[in-house]
Amino acid sequence: MLDRQNYLKVKLFLTYSRKVHERSLLQISTDFEHLKILLVWAGSQPLGSMHAFNNNLSDFLSQKVEKGLDQADVQSILKTNRRFLLWGKAMFPVEFQNIQLNWIMKITAISERKEVII
Amino acid sequence: MSENQDNSNCRISRNVLIKAPGLLPMLYTPREIAEDLDVPETTLRDWLNHGAPHRRDGSNHIWIDGKEFAAWIDNQRNARKKPAHKLEAGEGFCMRCNAIVKIQNGEIRPVKGHLSHLKGKCPNCGGIVNRGIWNAGSSELPQG
Repeated sequence: MLDRQNYLKVKLFLTYSRKVHERSLLQISTDFEHLKILLVWAGSQPLGSMHAFNNNLSDFLSQKVEKGLDQADVQSILKTNRRFLLWGKAMFPVEFQNIQLNWIMKITAISERKEVII
Repeated sequence: MSENQDNSNCRISRNVLIKAPGLLPMLYTPREIAEDLDVPETTLRDWLNHGAPHRRDGSNHIWIDGKEFAAWIDNQRNARKKPAHKLEAGEGFCMRCNAIVKIQNGEIRPVKGHLSHLKGKCPNCGGIVNRGIWNAGSSELPQG
């Protein structure tokens, strides 16, 4: 079972994106699909402790993501997740206090340095 | 515990069939699942009354497991699939029963050219069953 609090944070982020950043419904739907991967990756653990997870997100993507996804899709997924985490750090500073900005920025850098084979 | 009140088939839209496999393995509230599937909450509650899997906690709140619900949606789709075999003589498809039935009290009326119209009653529900047939002969009429 996934952590419901993680799911609620993602929904809050999508509402924020819709109302504040005025993202379209299609973009919101795509963002949600991308963030579902983060939710599955986090599993039953709170997102605030994700820096301590054993495998990193890009490795998880390379193992789990459906076939047919190209490098551009993977980059897009990682970018959405990075936006969410930056928003989370601003909105939930206490919960996300252990997650460093460097770590968040590194999410996309990892996949740029290392080829993701799907 | 699921509360199965009525296990009859529900009509599930194509949109829901596409979106349901994307539900996450977690507990949803009816409102959340309705939002994710883009259906009105009343429709979802109707499905719960038709046997969709759900449970209630100590406070009587409804919780729906995403994966169980997706599996139920898939079963509903399979249950509604029409039989693949061809209709035999004297048979028709009853739209009420959603099944192939032997037409009772069948009457054949010519329509145009080789096309005829077989009209009769369903033996199960008594509803009218229609069927178009080519080159209708006496074998098309059910015996008895």
